[in-house]
Amino acid sequence: MKLTGTQIVWILATTEIVAMISLKITPTIQIAKQDAWLSMIAGGLIGLILAFLFVHLSTLHPNQTLIQFSQKLLGKGIGRLVALPFLVAWFILPAVLLRSFADFIHLILLDRTPVWIIMLLLTILMTYLTYSAGITGIGRFCEIVGPLIIFTLMISFILNIQDIEWHHLLPVYFDSGWVNILKGSLGPAFWFPGPFILLVIISFVQKPRKAFSKSLLGVVITIFMVLTATLMVLLILGPNLSAKIRFSYFVFVRNTDILDFIQNIDVFIMFIMVFGVVAQLSLYFFIASYEIANWFQMKNWRRNIFYGAPAICIIAILIPDETTIVSFDQFWTNVAFPVCGILIPLILWITTVIKQKSKT
Amino acid sequence: MDLKTYCCDGLESELIRGELLMKRIGRCIIVLLLILFSTTGCWNLKEPNQLAFFTGNGLDLTEDGKLEATVLIVTPAGIGGGQFSSGDKKKGYQVVSATGKNVSDAITNIQSKLSRHVFPGHRDIFLVGQRLADQGIGETIDPFLRNAHSDLRSLIYLVKDAKPEEIFSIEPFFDQFITTSLSDEQTAIGIKPYLAREFVIDVLSEGTQPLMPVVSLNPQNHYNFDGSAIFNKEDNVKLVGFLNKKETFYANWVKDRLSSHTLTSFINQGDGTISITLGSFKRHITVKEVDEEIHIDLRLSGKGTIIENSTNLDPSKGVDLKLIEDELEKITQKAIEKQIKMVQKKYKMDIYGFGESVHQQYPKQWKTIKHNWSEHFSQLHVSVNVDLTCNNPGQANWSIYP
Repeated sequence: MKLTGTQIVWILATTEIVAMISLKITPTIQIAKQDAWLSMIAGGLIGLILAFLFVHLSTLHPNQTLIQFSQKLLGKGIGRLVALPFLVAWFILPAVLLRSFADFIHLILLDRTPVWIIMLLLTILMTYLTYSAGITGIGRFCEIVGPLIIFTLMISFILNIQDIEWHHLLPVYFDSGWVNILKGSLGPAFWFPGPFILLVIISFVQKPRKAFSKSLLGVVITIFMVLTATLMVLLILGPNLSAKIRFSYFVFVRNTDILDFIQNIDVFIMFIMVFGVVAQLSLYFFIASYEIANWFQMKNWRRNIFYGAPAICIIAILIPDETTIVSFDQFWTNVAFPVCGILIPLILWITTVIKQKSKT
Repeated sequence: MDLKTYCCDGLESELIRGELLMKRIGRCIIVLLLILFSTTGCWNLKEPNQLAFFTGNGLDLTEDGKLEATVLIVTPAGIGGGQFSSGDKKKGYQVVSATGKNVSDAITNIQSKLSRHVFPGHRDIFLVGQRLADQGIGETIDPFLRNAHSDLRSLIYLVKDAKPEEIFSIEPFFDQFITTSLSDEQTAIGIKPYLAREFVIDVLSEGTQPLMPVVSLNPQNHYNFDGSAIFNKEDNVKLVGFLNKKETFYANWVKDRLSSHTLTSFINQGDGTISITLGSFKRHITVKEVDEEIHIDLRLSGKGTIIENSTNLDPSKGVDLKLIEDELEKITQKAIEKQIKMVQKKYKMDIYGFGESVHQQYPKQWKTIKHNWSEHFSQLHVSVNVDLTCNNPGQANWSIYP
């Protein structure tokens, strides 16, 4: 299984843009108010640094995924133990994602369809995409839908330019101060480089030399789109209203009205959301299956699909309510990300550097 | 021997090929079935003929204090295709009301009078009855945002001295539904339409009090645009007072929401009246701090064309034109100053959004004064400066007669 550099760019953009636009804008605005866009810039910078760390660590161990090189570095026992939180994260994340997105579709579009049918359909798509060609298939899929997603989002921004009210952004900085701006930036910061996916997918890149520029380009595209979306939501709905709406970007899109003629373009946004979510689910699911195979040193990672897909679907169905999703999100930002996103990669990086030094 | 093996091989590969083909067809059928089930969405079908679209939604209190919702429902049979419909054309709409404990309950009770599912996605107009506004409309805002099918592009009006039901029942002049006329009304008289979304933004904002356009019923049983209503968002968004039409234009100028307006006034030196249609309005608010007191410096400007002149002045002469402009500026400035004073003293509600300007220009000071901004607003020192330019005298210079 191989990935080209372009595919890395689009995998990052496709899987992150849709998720962040639908889930991260409102929480950031709730914390940083009209300065949420500053939070997005600050978060983007932190995200770029994290992405740099992930890629750097990955290229130090060419053609090895996280679980392969952690076992090699720290020995089989500790290496596996260190990788365990990642496995849990990669398994539960798609489940939570599946549930929140199915709830969203249920609320907006298919209100008389049971939620589990929506989840089942998404699971089937996810399984198909993962089973058929693994990461190569996901890469190709992202290469096709990524540009579509960006195009559609751009159109949604352009169609709302006439309603922009600049005073919604004022006063800059003073109301929230740097503490709140930084606090608001943490949530997006961890999401911009993707939930540690770079630690795995970089090992599939054909030309590792290109991995740096390509993955950073992917993160920059994501930052640009999410930043623009945040600005547009703020400029149209204002900070006070958008802080109260769960999916503020979606409400922003529904606001589009040009000459009483171009309206209700939210249908198109639903399309790209399904694209993005399927790509995201498949990517996390592939990484989970592949890394579990490495963990148990199985030869065929595809076997994990047969129990993995039903497991994800069942976890998603078992999630009782919105409260669980919210507390999971807090757990994610406060515990999972700092540990898996910063601490363990740093430990691994330091060990690598020390080992290389002692060799020479 | 060789030949025999070859034959067997051929047969076998033929068989394998057939098997593969069958497998492929089987797969195709499964995929097609999946596509069929997942893309048609038949189980969640709602055809337009199962929906009752309402283009207008009104809320009011009945005489015994119950919340009453009124909707204007489009009846497709009445508006259907031109050439086939014969003389006995049905009415294109119906007005239905019901009471309830809250908005959704009232809508549910409306539903029980209808055979089609009520659908708010095409609502153009939102009407608030005066009796409800007197009690406060803060609690009715929630369903407007929470309902996923709610249309945030609706325009909002207050109904003065009448019920929303009566406004909806008006036989429209031009359009099929009165809601269409109401949604064009503000643009026609030169004010930027006030969306319900903007109303919510004003209610949630720190400094601005909402200013809602008002319609009332006239003796011809048609509606009148009747100025605007002042609300107090600190007290359950209660109605506290009205501005008349002229005051509404001035207030919207100060709010930078005016697109055209005709000023008429008597010019003493010319011994006659002059009318000027203004456009390209500009507004500039500068906040100054003088001795720890906040002063607002309001600069308004507009450009216009003379459309009526019964004075003995000649607008093509520089001196006369200056005189006309100065006089109009003076009169307008006095009127706006007087109006701001009146709002400050009588209502203490910052409908102009001066608070937002203070917030933007003095964010530090704003943090301390925002909690009792209404008090500060009533004491605010506002200086008004109007700059009118008359860049077109119309098709004549002197008054045509005599």
